[in-house]
Amino acid sequence: MADRALDGLRVVDISQGIAGPYATKLLADAGALVTKVEPPAGDYSRRLGPFPNDIPDPEKSGLYLHLNTSKRSITLDVSVTSGQVVLKKLLANADVFVCGEKTSTLTAWGLTYDDLKSDFPDLVVAQVSPFGATGPYADYNGNSLTAMAMSTLMYNTGDPDREPLTTGGEPGEYIAGVQLWIGILAAIENRAKNGGGDHVDVSMAEAVASADEYNAAMYGFQGAIRRRYYSRHIFGYPNDIMACADGHVVVIPGASGFPSPLAPDVVSPMSLLLEDVDLDKNPMFQQMGERMIRWQDFEALIEPYLSTHSAMEIVMTAQALRLPFAFVPNAPDLLSDEHLAERAFFEQVSAGGDRLTIPGQPFKMSETPLHASAAPARGSANATVLVDELGYEKGDLTILSDRGIT
Amino acid sequence: MTEQQLPLEGIRVVDLAQVFAGPACTRILADLGADVIRFESAGRMDVTRNLIITDNDGKDHHWLRASYFVVRNVNKREMVLDLAKEEGREIIRKLVAGADVVVESFTPRVMGNFGLGYDALKKIKPDIIMCSLSGYGQYGPMRDYGAYGMGLEPASGLSSITGYPGGPPIRSGLSFTDPYSGFVGAGAILTALHYRRRTGKGQYIDLSEQEAAIPLMGAALLEHQMTGRMPERTGDRSEWAAPQGCYRCAGDDRWAVISCANDDEFARMATAMVHAEWIDDERFATVLARHDHHDDLDAAITAWTSKRDHYDVMRSLQAAGVKAAAVLDGKEILFDPQFAARGHFDIVDQPMLGKRPIQRHVAAKFRRFEAKVRRPAPLLGEHNDEVLREIGYTEQQIAQLKDDAVIADKPRLPVPANLIAMALRLPYDRYIEHHILQALEPDYREQLGLAEPADA
Repeated sequence: MADRALDGLRVVDISQGIAGPYATKLLADAGALVTKVEPPAGDYSRRLGPFPNDIPDPEKSGLYLHLNTSKRSITLDVSVTSGQVVLKKLLANADVFVCGEKTSTLTAWGLTYDDLKSDFPDLVVAQVSPFGATGPYADYNGNSLTAMAMSTLMYNTGDPDREPLTTGGEPGEYIAGVQLWIGILAAIENRAKNGGGDHVDVSMAEAVASADEYNAAMYGFQGAIRRRYYSRHIFGYPNDIMACADGHVVVIPGASGFPSPLAPDVVSPMSLLLEDVDLDKNPMFQQMGERMIRWQDFEALIEPYLSTHSAMEIVMTAQALRLPFAFVPNAPDLLSDEHLAERAFFEQVSAGGDRLTIPGQPFKMSETPLHASAAPARGSANATVLVDELGYEKGDLTILSDRGIT
Repeated sequence: MTEQQLPLEGIRVVDLAQVFAGPACTRILADLGADVIRFESAGRMDVTRNLIITDNDGKDHHWLRASYFVVRNVNKREMVLDLAKEEGREIIRKLVAGADVVVESFTPRVMGNFGLGYDALKKIKPDIIMCSLSGYGQYGPMRDYGAYGMGLEPASGLSSITGYPGGPPIRSGLSFTDPYSGFVGAGAILTALHYRRRTGKGQYIDLSEQEAAIPLMGAALLEHQMTGRMPERTGDRSEWAAPQGCYRCAGDDRWAVISCANDDEFARMATAMVHAEWIDDERFATVLARHDHHDDLDAAITAWTSKRDHYDVMRSLQAAGVKAAAVLDGKEILFDPQFAARGHFDIVDQPMLGKRPIQRHVAAKFRRFEAKVRRPAPLLGEHNDEVLREIGYTEQQIAQLKDDAVIADKPRLPVPANLIAMALRLPYDRYIEHHILQALEPDYREQLGLAEPADA
């Protein structure tokens, strides 16, 4: 087996759902020893599904299985003293403590960075919460939707006359998870350089706002406030998804798709794609602002071609003309995609007898490739961790279990 | 905060990335203290030097006035280099010999064609960490596909689950998988640095932007496998909460999102809206009833929200323990008390442009250091001489490189700059008329408290 990049890094993770677990999945798949500490009822993602044939089973939740690969699981009620004592024994041997709670909840449990730093001076306490650990909204509740709303991304997504739209796939959670992962690795680098643990405090709303392309910049540099306009960029039409004969394609003319005023005699790739070089004389082909405003007129020019060609024909022809068009795959399209297959992107895990294809690693490392092993059953490492590592008696396991601590 | 080094101080990054994903990646490394030296070419500047020109006015140095470029290139140094010339490539090789990380975002064949592929760089610096960010990865049948951010969010599958119920797939209004991939690339490089610190070994990272975002499709991919169903577009609704949606508030195009997972949260919302009778209304009393009568519930909620300011909706519902948030626009986020209290925007004094708010790229706040903006974005080729001196070039050699146009600090433009500047002005008056823009506020710098004496 290849080396693991994060061998030796020990992580204790009480977070549930998506953001925190995705951050620790990225650590675990890279070799860190992640001990997932679930409440006795299990991580709530075990209840979210999807489930095989729609039959709920906490050991078969698709979301849980995807987000908790390569970890081990113990159950522990960290909201009560008996559980907190066990948790602190775990933290004594940990480099990183990950939690997904608001500060007020951690305060009630005695598990904030400030509560822990004197006993565990080298511990990195990584906290992801809807609005951050501090500030006037620190106690607010939230999810991906509230993060998308606050970040400005939502205000610009959707039709001008309808409500703003969030993006599918819970991006607020995943962006926050990736930012938490970055923060943890940065704090570990800092510890190596300067010594000492740290508080890594990630707000989901800020994490998404850090991905803002130019909404805040348009005001801060121009005084302009952008609205949503069919999710279109301010730079001009189309650069957008359009219908074709058998589905949809992304029509992206790119930097050199339309006629250039600097080279008026060169036939544009867009007119070649549409098989009508006279289009180069059309004002819609010559001016970006004109296309943006008179987009219906532009669609009338392009629709006859799109509606009579398949996505495959359109994208292949466009790419041959150096136009960066793209496909709009759905879930089964991705699972059967030849390019992703050749790159061996997807990974297989088995769960309760089922073989499942889960999303693969978001990047390929040549020396220390990340690798996912199946997510753990709830509490399956209780005996290993409590008895073998923390020194509890075997009989203690039953006592902790019958009082609902594990 | 005590005077200590930032976590990546002493790490040198050779940054050959352009546009959005790559520069977002290297900005994170720069914000964490790395010495990031970015590269452009005089004949082919980073295209973002043409985007969102300050005050929508290119003037005569439009390439120094593009906010799009500034936001993702603060904290970096820059050289303008002609990589088509052997002397230019020699400078890269000399820099790599003393560097820790190389980041590039060309289409896959380009670095190899320059003789600057990983195998070549590894010979110069055996423990180099190199990260290539591309649309579809370094191998596979689509590796040579041209790729823009606006195509890669759909290519990851996310657009297939984004859209109004029953409507077509749509993109986010911003190409968010671009910065998302950049963030993922930064985490990948930090992972590789950790490994190198432990073992002394470098490595190569192949990051496909399409693949980086597919994990967001995790639940949808498993739903299809587990149930045979095609995941649907549900607008702002969710299987995990009802009501959940985006509700019209008082004012012009003002909105707030609300989400209630369970009976308790719903009861708190109904009480906060002074409609406690909803708790016992058989259409709304249970989780399943609320999913079944979501349209009726949305109408009832909208009757309440539409008379209230979106911030009031957020504050009064949050005070009752209900998940809610105002949908902010690009101005409101700059004035929001939470973003302000936590310092999400640094005020940066940018040459030619004055003080401007620049968003953080490292979202985490730390106790022991700050990942903030320490220096403005570089002018074109601003650090040519400085960097060349550091790697041992003499003044005479530097002068020769200038004469030979290997380095430059001005763009080679195909037409006079004023023509390009004119073309870069967007027709904002017409954009307002067509509701592409909400407003254009000439006094914005006063409102932000960032006006310079000369502006007044």
